[in-house]
Amino acid sequence: MDHFKERSTRDYFQKKLYSLEGLLERENRCIYEEPAFCHAACPLGLDAKKLIGFAEKGNFSEARAMLEHIAPFPRILVYGCEAPCEKVCRMNEVGEGIDIPALERAAMNLGSPKTGRGMLKFKKKQKAAVFGSDLFSLSLAAELARKSYPVSFYVSQADAVSLIKDCAPFLSKDDLAKEATRLEAMDIKIIYSCKLTKELFESEKEDFDIIAAARSFLNAYFPGDIPDSRTLLSPVSKLLSSQNSDPGVLEAVFDARRAGVSADRIAQGLDPGSSRGEEGARESRLFTDMSEAVPSKRVPEPQEGYTREAAMEEAARCIRCKCEECIKHCVFLQETGKYPRLLTREIYNNVDIIMGDHLMNKTINSCSLCGQCTFTCPNGYDMAEICRDARENMVSTTKMALAYHEFALLDMLFSNDEAFLAKPQSGYEECKYVFFPGCQAGAIAPEAVFKAYSDLTGRLEGGVGLINGCCGAIAKWAGRTAIYEECEELLKSELKKLGKPKIIAACPTCKKTLEEMIGAEVKGIWDILNEKGLPEGALEYDRPLIMHDSCSARGDSEMQTAIRKLADSLGCTLKEVPYNGDMTECCGYGGLVSYVNKDLASKMAQSCTKDEDVPYISYCMACRDRFAREGRESMHVLELVYAAPAGNPPDISEKRKNRLNLKRKLLEEVWNEEVIVVNPEYKIVIPEDVSEILDERMILEEDVYDVIGAYHAGGSAVCDEKSGLLTSSLRKGNVTFWLNFTEDETGVYTIKGAYSHRMKVRTRYEV
Amino acid sequence: MTDKVYYTVEAEDNLICRKCGIPLEKTEAVFEYLDNSFPVELPACPKCGFVYVPEDLALGKVLSVEKVLEDK
Ligand code: SF4
Ligand code: SF4
Ligand code: SF4
Ligand SMILES: [Zn+2]
Repeated sequence: MDHFKERSTRDYFQKKLYSLEGLLERENRCIYEEPAFCHAACPLGLDAKKLIGFAEKGNFSEARAMLEHIAPFPRILVYGCEAPCEKVCRMNEVGEGIDIPALERAAMNLGSPKTGRGMLKFKKKQKAAVFGSDLFSLSLAAELARKSYPVSFYVSQADAVSLIKDCAPFLSKDDLAKEATRLEAMDIKIIYSCKLTKELFESEKEDFDIIAAARSFLNAYFPGDIPDSRTLLSPVSKLLSSQNSDPGVLEAVFDARRAGVSADRIAQGLDPGSSRGEEGARESRLFTDMSEAVPSKRVPEPQEGYTREAAMEEAARCIRCKCEECIKHCVFLQETGKYPRLLTREIYNNVDIIMGDHLMNKTINSCSLCGQCTFTCPNGYDMAEICRDARENMVSTTKMALAYHEFALLDMLFSNDEAFLAKPQSGYEECKYVFFPGCQAGAIAPEAVFKAYSDLTGRLEGGVGLINGCCGAIAKWAGRTAIYEECEELLKSELKKLGKPKIIAACPTCKKTLEEMIGAEVKGIWDILNEKGLPEGALEYDRPLIMHDSCSARGDSEMQTAIRKLADSLGCTLKEVPYNGDMTECCGYGGLVSYVNKDLASKMAQSCTKDEDVPYISYCMACRDRFAREGRESMHVLELVYAAPAGNPPDISEKRKNRLNLKRKLLEEVWNEEVIVVNPEYKIVIPEDVSEILDERMILEEDVYDVIGAYHAGGSAVCDEKSGLLTSSLRKGNVTFWLNFTEDETGVYTIKGAYSHRMKVRTRYEV
Repeated sequence: MTDKVYYTVEAEDNLICRKCGIPLEKTEAVFEYLDNSFPVELPACPKCGFVYVPEDLALGKVLSVEKVLEDK
């Protein structure tokens, strides 16, 4: 099977990422969109957090508009509301809760009303009548008028001011007048000074489709006719009325709101209990970390209400409750600017697209699959699973381009082919153990691997074989199941040949991957070293160090402890940082981020090494390498154990050479096998600045040799007569490599530049 | 396929095919990627057909079109 066949943009398969239930089950774990506690506690659904936000900026008019939107008589509400919001305010836990009603009053008093008449609305056909006045019936009359029902409101009072006063006796004179003016401006036919008799009701009701009443009216003429607790419809009289005889302000306004919904259902000829959706207060599922909230006291509200400044100061105490636990600690999520719930939906849709732009591909491939979010999220959100599933899905449906991961996959195949080595300890056919150093160890610290293998064979009984290759993690991270399965087959057959030995891994990712692969425990070399003691010549280290835990060691406290024990025996003084253990961050190698999104991978490595002056020690070669590449002093614990400092981080070509040289050295010195190396008859010089370009552009020295080799064998080149510079190219797999170079009489080629592209180019005459 | 040409690079006078010893000429060529193709005009050797893709073209236009197609 050809793993490196480019996809076609013309045809591909279709496979859902998750079932709808599967998607919702995942999305619902993220409570980012949950209302703040204050918001959820308000039966009218006022988003107090948002209102406070406006107030903090001094934007009282916007805050006022929110109140005018949720309540027909906002002044009655803000002076009378029992304010359940303020009781649940999280700031109560560390000091005094925010004075939300005081801020609402400030909004009404400091903000100006929105001007403009709104949209012209046609009156509805169904008519409504409201008998008698209390805060419920007053609010309902206004609610129905707002819904464009022609409303007749029968009241005993003689004018608007006394009507409002009877419904909200707590209002100041000034506010009474304002709410009376508001009432008069509403499109309600108010029949003042009415005698509210049963006869009036019986004679009038036939003219109306919706009838409602003050609760005292209902009690007087229909005793025992109790309104339904949800629809507020009384079964006998069919009157809409408040649930309780003497409701509080908030309850009365909320009852009027719900009665308004029932009125709509009745007008449509539906059951008033049908399709009402969520109503009323609820408990928020939001999580808000209060550990950093600074306790503070309320700004006292004087009799005449807050000044602008005082209101802004009180509003500034609100911490805007939200959950961003995962985002706080993940550079990838910060970069996307999205929270997991939203990200998941966008990834789901991206996977689903048939023809069109898959704009989330780079994002899907930029998660380090490190699993930190599953630890930081109060609900254990698993973004890694979703990104991994999306990669696998898109690979299997041929929607994911090879370009993202091809270099890493070819590197993995190199580890498991040209650089691969699997052998029993010499003198043994089968072994009790096998050492599995991992592809990165050989690439970055080959000397430490060589010495570790010699040490293990010298100190363990029963034979220690060697398998030097890749565990398959790279294929897994890339979502390339077929390549992973081939790797699995290779490793399992080698293990079988070695007599199913116990694996000793030197890399946390190998350990995890191999354990999953073979379904048995894999030991870490750190366990052996703790058991047997340090080898002779181990380097002592007396400067303080920061231990960076590998993201593959997350949740594995045994491994984390074992490593610390080993560091301790080396004499290291470890400085522990908040981002260690299970909270550790990824260095940017995980999930192949460094191949897909170099800048992000750099930020990840920097974020891991915030403490710039202290050297970092780690037990994953990739971490060691990435930190060193960011200019941090960084070492792998095995470099100390085996007194084999690996020095400056190798570039992509050196990483390959290191693996080949290690293989050769092992074969020659451990197994006494002769290795024949063929050198080309021409010489190539790659100056240092060109080496850097090669590394940056992911062009291997091997590619350089191949291009020159083809030219040397008679291939074409362009010659710039002015400069004498030659340019030649070679297509290798899916990439065309170009080199600028000079050639001297002695057959030495000096490379001046290199670049590549994936498109194929040809003249239009060729077919 | 239309005859629209997406990109043209003039052949500079000083570019010679090393193998054939003759100057490159502006030639009808085509870029192909992921089952899409784009007619272009690039310097090429009239004899051996070697097409020259200069560095700024490869790392500029070609790369950006590759990226768009990869995510199609
Ligand atoms: S701190 Fe602010 S957002 Fe949080 S509950 Fe209190 S008022 Fe609402
Ligand atoms: S797996 Fe790691 S990189 Fe990916 S979202 Fe979670 S914390 Fe961020
Ligand atoms: S931690 Fe992240 S994933 Fe979890 S609920 Fe909060 S925002 Fe959502
Ligand atoms: Zn030619």
